[in-house]
Amino acid sequence: MNPPTTRTPTSRCDGLARRDFLHLGLLTAFGLSASDLFRRQLQAAEPAGTNRRANSCILIWLDGGPSHLDLFDPKPGAPAEIRGPFQAIPTRVPGVHICEHLPRIAGILDQVGLIRSLTHELGNHDTGTRFLLTGHRPTPAVDYPSLGSLVAREQGFNTAIPPYVAVPHDSVGGSTTAARGGYLGGAFSAFNVGTDPAHVRDLDSPPGVSFSRGERRQEMLRKFDAFRRETEERPVTGDRDAFYEQAYRLLASPEARGAFDLSQEKPAVRERYGTSRLGTGCLLARRLIEAGSRFVTVVDPGWDTHQQIARELPDSRFPGSGKLPALDRAFSALITDLRERGRLESTLVVLMGEFGRTPKLNAAGGRDHWPRAGSVCLAGGGVQGGRVIGATNGFGEVPVDRPVSPADLAHTLLKLLGVDPGRELITPAGRPMKILSDGAFISELL
Amino acid sequence: MTGRLNQEGKGAGGAGPRPAALLGGVLSLVLATGFQSCAESSFRTDILPILTKAGCNAGACHGAATGQGGFKLSLLGYDPEEDHARITRESGGRRLDFSHPGESLFLRKPAGELEHEGGRRLPRDSASHRKLLTWIAQGAPFGSPELHVSEITVTPADRLFTATGQSLALRVTARLSDGSSQDVTALALYTSQDDALAEVGKSGEVTARGSGMTSVMVRYAGQVAAVRLAVPYDEPALSSAGLSELNYIDGYVRAELDRLHLPASPPGDDAEFVRRVHLDVVGRLPDPDVVRRFLAAPADAAKRSRLIDGLLQSDDFTDFWTLKLADLFLLGGKGSPDGITSNYHAWLREQVATNAPFDRIVQALLTATGDLAQVGPANFMMLATDPRDLSEHVGRIFLGSQIACARCHSHPNDRWTQEDYHRFAAYFARLKRDDGRVSVALRGEVDHPKTGRPLTPKPLGAPGQAAAVAGGDQGPADRRPALAAWLASPANPAFTRTIVNRVWKHLLGRGLVEPVDDLRPSNPPTHPALLDALVADFVAGGLDLRRLIRVIVGSQTYQLTSQPRGINRRDQRLYSHAYLKELPGPVFADAVAQVTGVPDQFAGQPPGTRAVQLVGPRIPSPALDVLGRCSREGACDSPARSGGGLARALHLINGSTINDKLRGGVLDSLLTGSASDRFILDEVYLRALSRPPGPAELAEWTTVLATATDRKEAVQDLVWALLNSREFAFNH
Repeated sequence: MNPPTTRTPTSRCDGLARRDFLHLGLLTAFGLSASDLFRRQLQAAEPAGTNRRANSCILIWLDGGPSHLDLFDPKPGAPAEIRGPFQAIPTRVPGVHICEHLPRIAGILDQVGLIRSLTHELGNHDTGTRFLLTGHRPTPAVDYPSLGSLVAREQGFNTAIPPYVAVPHDSVGGSTTAARGGYLGGAFSAFNVGTDPAHVRDLDSPPGVSFSRGERRQEMLRKFDAFRRETEERPVTGDRDAFYEQAYRLLASPEARGAFDLSQEKPAVRERYGTSRLGTGCLLARRLIEAGSRFVTVVDPGWDTHQQIARELPDSRFPGSGKLPALDRAFSALITDLRERGRLESTLVVLMGEFGRTPKLNAAGGRDHWPRAGSVCLAGGGVQGGRVIGATNGFGEVPVDRPVSPADLAHTLLKLLGVDPGRELITPAGRPMKILSDGAFISELL
Repeated sequence: MTGRLNQEGKGAGGAGPRPAALLGGVLSLVLATGFQSCAESSFRTDILPILTKAGCNAGACHGAATGQGGFKLSLLGYDPEEDHARITRESGGRRLDFSHPGESLFLRKPAGELEHEGGRRLPRDSASHRKLLTWIAQGAPFGSPELHVSEITVTPADRLFTATGQSLALRVTARLSDGSSQDVTALALYTSQDDALAEVGKSGEVTARGSGMTSVMVRYAGQVAAVRLAVPYDEPALSSAGLSELNYIDGYVRAELDRLHLPASPPGDDAEFVRRVHLDVVGRLPDPDVVRRFLAAPADAAKRSRLIDGLLQSDDFTDFWTLKLADLFLLGGKGSPDGITSNYHAWLREQVATNAPFDRIVQALLTATGDLAQVGPANFMMLATDPRDLSEHVGRIFLGSQIACARCHSHPNDRWTQEDYHRFAAYFARLKRDDGRVSVALRGEVDHPKTGRPLTPKPLGAPGQAAAVAGGDQGPADRRPALAAWLASPANPAFTRTIVNRVWKHLLGRGLVEPVDDLRPSNPPTHPALLDALVADFVAGGLDLRRLIRVIVGSQTYQLTSQPRGINRRDQRLYSHAYLKELPGPVFADAVAQVTGVPDQFAGQPPGTRAVQLVGPRIPSPALDVLGRCSREGACDSPARSGGGLARALHLINGSTINDKLRGGVLDSLLTGSASDRFILDEVYLRALSRPPGPAELAEWTTVLATATDRKEAVQDLVWALLNSREFAFNH
């Protein structure tokens, strides 16, 4: 008998077997067709090689690289130039302290798994972001798909809502394509909500096109396609047909379209999340998850704090505003709201950015890029709250315990979401490619 | 305890003297197992292949970067010295027991006698087990440090089955560096490229499963080979596929169709041809007048050639192929500073306009230095600063080779070693990039990842001393001219095959080798002789891209209809009919503008600039982002790297690309004049699909327009539906 987590001996060890893929019937000459994508929503059972706990994921991406020392890994005993301007406060987890500007998160930290030993060596926004969001060290030769794209690819549509959505858009790490579909193609990139959730791109009819006119158009389109059906239905046209079908499903579903409409929330709920872009984004993410999205990335820009941390992270002119208070409110509200709605167990919430920041303050009172140490928060989706995994040294420079690589993190996220990181995909160009080539499950989280 | 003796006395190569005390053991063992020969085993050529075959050094097992269960082997055995040391000496040598060879952990674990996560892989009575046992009894020697497998050959190299269900036993022979040969059929690794067509067992037995053509990759001791397999379609044998011959290409294509009993579809009509050849060769639709004239012209043999020649000489050709090459060279993508790509683009456009030979274009890219704003091709060196990253780009773009695998270990499917990889990268070690200039640096080396010593540059797969330059201080400051002279040369088959295959793929919808950036001996072309002939012709013509395109689109193969004929509907690699190709994002956007007569306006660009003319990938265009364009941050060999999917469909239904162009332009002039419904239908069909509407279509749409309460809206909606239709979205 084979060990339970592995496949057949051939496929485990020659690293090239395409058999699993073929037997699942997923391979066409043109790679995976979108109709396969829709079909897959029927596969409910937990696939081998995963630790499926969650149905969906909300990733809060702190773009630019959040300072671990000023958020979740304070060093109150370190000299002032390392300690920084903020005090540490106790949390619901005995002995664990975080930044004074995150009191609400401190109050729910018993529901959060905190990794303090994220480490890698890629100190550019672009490369660091790619590593974190794909689980692969970037190489010019392969454009790896993002985690959200992989989940969309493997799990498919749940409802009429797109499986992978980015709020407001998937432009991260200095406008790289790191959050996109990579070799899986644009079909598995995020659906970008745009900066104004009230007017999601291309969801509204164009001016002058009433509902009935839209229906007439759809009927004409159906006829056009029917005239040539005989000669044109091929694998290569199947994707296009499937996405039109999906687009019309979305446009025709008031529930799905309504998921984008924040005005359906009570003012008290909106207040709880805060009116910041991050707060609004987290609330929208919760609505999308409930409506059937698999992976929602909320991008919060502005964490590249090279200057004046004391003034920029909490806005010193307006107490209670600024990046840290907005994050405090949004993240704690999201966790609490999900729990109260009974969705926390099935929703994995992840909070991270591309790297930590230099332990020593620079001349401008800011911190520069520091990939060797960083923090990640995980909640829900089976993650045991109240645990701290790994630790950095006294100055927050390097992990001294349980280093976690971006590949480990990606591996863990995928497994929790029911995606087997060892599975092999065939790229549209026909090349077999393992979902992840490296990394191990962070078992301390469960 | 005598077994511990082996720890001492081992030479660096591991081939040290054997403890005499073991001799008795060997003798008794030979008697016991009946093993025929006492010749000393060679670790590299006798033992390692056994471990590879059993899967021990696979990526998921001990070949993982961190090993498995405390025991690490190099991936697929790329580092024999290291593997030998770990097996014989690591952990105090506890893996081998020289006093009782059969009791060695190294044997008992894979025999399933001790707990082993990998299971039972080398059972005690197997031939492989006996070989390992003998080797241990011999003192586990490394053997000759130089002896290696220099080549493998597989017979048959090519096989046509006559029906599904048939089987074939492959035979693999390894030639060793000492001139000897071995039958290694039992120890080679086999991978079918398409299990639905041909299944291959562990011992090299191939079974035909479905109709079509595929290949089996064979690997042994770092060498690779492939077997081409074909299974005919279940049709009565044809006298001929029915493909007539316009030029030499068709003979090769027909030969394969005949072999597989696959009928060719008939030649496409003039309407199909005129749209297809425009979209493929100049990236835009034919104007309606061009279509009318072409359809009306009497059919003579030279009619299509004249059209092709005209297109090849047009400015549209220059624009479109500048875009194609810019996508290939990742012009203006990653690493390039904003604002100076226009000079690079202008240089490239000039090369295309003057029909510069392809080798000369690439030579310039590989050797240019200077001010990025003045010397266009110098920008190519901005793709990466790390010489290794740059070499990966060069390998993929110009040699069609995925060398990145060899960065960390020997390439699993190709013949490149880690050392090959780093020697290739060393050509780019001496470059400076500062103050907006690329210049040659005095110093810079690429070190061997294991020894840490600087490597002298050597090109990938070049015979002998080709392109060799000395390393260290003896060599030239700029190592690239030597590389460029070898790489971008008509005499370099990897170079010429790669570009010919890419152009073929663009025009036919499928490469003769797929993926187009993964040409290697283990990934054979569907039509090897055709690729050879195209390359020979390309070289004879002086690496002239226009000439190559002319010969391909002049073939009957290219000009077949896209409508399948009978069973050939199932074919996706033998060119029995023309394959549908989705219009790339920029071509689609331009086509909508052309049909409607309403041009796009791109930010900061002069009016009238078309999407295919845009210089860099960062010129803002939310529409193109959704429709799909090459971001030039990585390979764009497959279409739709950005955009596509649901967002594209929503955008075409509700977004600006189509909806903003239904007013003004052509529609308004059609509607304000006295044009009849019939005239309008003919006109929009001709503009979008290069054909008149069929009778059923005409009947349907005439009724729709005649009964519409608002004729203008109805015409707009009709054009909206036409531009959203499946037929419009594809090149047929």
